[in-house]
Amino acid sequence: MDSGFPPAEHSAGIMPVIETRGITKSFGHVQALRGASLRAYPGEVLALIGDNGAGKSTLSNVIAGVHSADAGELILRGESVNVSSVRHARELGIEIVYQDLAQAPDLSVVQNFFFGRELLVKGPGRLIGQVDEAAMRERTKEAMSLLGAQVPSLTAPVSALSGGQRQAIAVARAVMWATAAIVMDEPTAALGTKQTKMVYDAVRAAADRDLAVIFVSHDIPKMLDFADRIAIMRHGQVVAQMPTAGLQLVDVLTTMLSAQADASEGEAA
Amino acid sequence: MTQTQTPPGAVTFDSSEPSATRRVVTSTAFMIAIVVTVLILLFGVLSPNGVFLSAGNFRNLALDSAQLILLAVGMTFLVGAGELDLSIGANVILSSVVAAKVITFVGGTPEEILAGDYSNAATAILLGFLAAVVTGVLFGIVNAALVNMLRVSSFIVTLAMMSAGSGIAYIVTGGINVSSLPREMQKGFGSADLFGIIPIPAVIAVVIGLVAWFAMTKLRFGVHTLGMGSSLRAAERAGINIRRQRVKLFVIMGGIAGLVGFIDISRFLTTNIQGHQGDALAAIAAVVIGGTSLFGGRASILGSMIAAIIPAILINGLVIMRVGSFYQLVVTGVILLIAVGIDQRRRAQSK
Ligand SMILES: Nc1ncnc2c1ncn2[C@@H]1O[C@H](COP(=O)(O)OP(=O)(O)OP(=O)(O)O)[C@@H](O)[C@H]1O
Ligand SMILES: [Mg+2]
Repeated sequence: MDSGFPPAEHSAGIMPVIETRGITKSFGHVQALRGASLRAYPGEVLALIGDNGAGKSTLSNVIAGVHSADAGELILRGESVNVSSVRHARELGIEIVYQDLAQAPDLSVVQNFFFGRELLVKGPGRLIGQVDEAAMRERTKEAMSLLGAQVPSLTAPVSALSGGQRQAIAVARAVMWATAAIVMDEPTAALGTKQTKMVYDAVRAAADRDLAVIFVSHDIPKMLDFADRIAIMRHGQVVAQMPTAGLQLVDVLTTMLSAQADASEGEAA
Repeated sequence: MTQTQTPPGAVTFDSSEPSATRRVVTSTAFMIAIVVTVLILLFGVLSPNGVFLSAGNFRNLALDSAQLILLAVGMTFLVGAGELDLSIGANVILSSVVAAKVITFVGGTPEEILAGDYSNAATAILLGFLAAVVTGVLFGIVNAALVNMLRVSSFIVTLAMMSAGSGIAYIVTGGINVSSLPREMQKGFGSADLFGIIPIPAVIAVVIGLVAWFAMTKLRFGVHTLGMGSSLRAAERAGINIRRQRVKLFVIMGGIAGLVGFIDISRFLTTNIQGHQGDALAAIAAVVIGGTSLFGGRASILGSMIAAIIPAILINGLVIMRVGSFYQLVVTGVILLIAVGIDQRRRAQSK
């Protein structure tokens, strides 16, 4: 069934960075995912859309190692991987920006950037886990300037920053660490216009570094304009994946909401 | 500052970090140090002939605050991590009881011990010291294990352990303090001085405090501790093993409580199973006064250490001035309220 998916622009044999095959996941009686299959290619922004409760966050969390799938396969650059934890996903180069950011508000920007994987000094201090503040600050600075993101201070606690600045930090952090893919779960929800633009720019910059970006959003018109391809979820399945070029909003809405849409219909659109 | 070349199109990132001086001057530890200095000068002026400022009196102050400094240092890690330990008083008692039992058991025959004449004093004291620290650490491990297993807040768990721990101390001793411990431990340790003037327990407190300060501010361990206190969810998402971190934190607190128990019997040559009721609250008060947030996430080891001297200064000063030392409790309460007020205002500002 997923053989019908490859979009025209990638038929030249480019391997997806991330592919999910028939992922299922239940929470008690709720079947959040019922065989979700999706592909994300290097250098692209893949918009992941769908109605509330369609399973977008659950699929994102499975990819990022937050949840483990009940069944199905996660394939990273052609190899089936069994992602057991967030830490493991990170080691594989997959980063996620959570909708609530999951930052430690009292820690500084730099500390949040490196939270859980601090750089250690060279020499004997390393043995007792002495952190290399200067090196971490340098790397943070680089990552922030890459995005053109501004914050008043890198050593001030994150709680002192605005929502947009915090969001920018979360995105910059994911971009800095990711070597394969970034999953963003509604990263622009509750942001102002200027800050939203900043996040979009950051996402594009990440894709330009050949990462695959999976971008969960409810802003379909914007996604048609911004994303390279779009994946539509319904009832725990990806019912269509297609390039956004030439795609009409009405087609997307029909696929998203119609009772019996399947992958081949979506492909034909 | 030199202007660096940036590639066209790139946005220069600039942020201004507060200077080291500014950070020190605006820190709570610095403010509380001023309060302590003012208190010392005030008592110095008010006390007859300025006896409060005599070297001998400073020695008393150092000796009297050593135990609270140690407990406050351990508590700073816990409060910074969003945890509490109300059982440290019980831990101090139980550790000292176990140590005292070991010392009297190993030290010599019952007759010798009754006469305060230990044939194996050195071995007995050493084993007693180890017993105190091991008991304290085990107490801490039990606390952490219960919090991890029951998934109940450490407030409730350590409240229960406070009761259980002192209960065990009563059972072990039959309610009678173990006394006539070897004088050697007082002369050589509990009331001994370095260079003839600095009490050994105070030296230990300062050394451990400095090590703790280093661990909190320079090591990954400190970042993870504060991150956990700031947002448990963020720490989990960052892949930090919270349960293991919790065990480490309670082990540090427990080990310190064991050490304090040993210092206590070394100073007074008897256990004090009726005492130490207020230890936990005094330590928490010092921690909060010193600038650590009661809600976790922000902590100051140096602030805790300085704030832990306040009760000793007040008691000592008020006694010298012949005012009842009970006023100390009132004054400490007022300072605590002010500190909590400042903490709340900071939280509100940074929201
Ligand atoms: N931890 C959980 N426990 C129980 N049910 C859950 C859990 N997480 C998600 N679900 C359920 O799984 C289904 C899919 O949820 P999910 O959050 O993935 O949807 P979504 O597409 O992200 O929706 P939204 O657009 O509202 O964010 C929903 O019915 C939801 O109630
Ligand atoms: Mg969601």
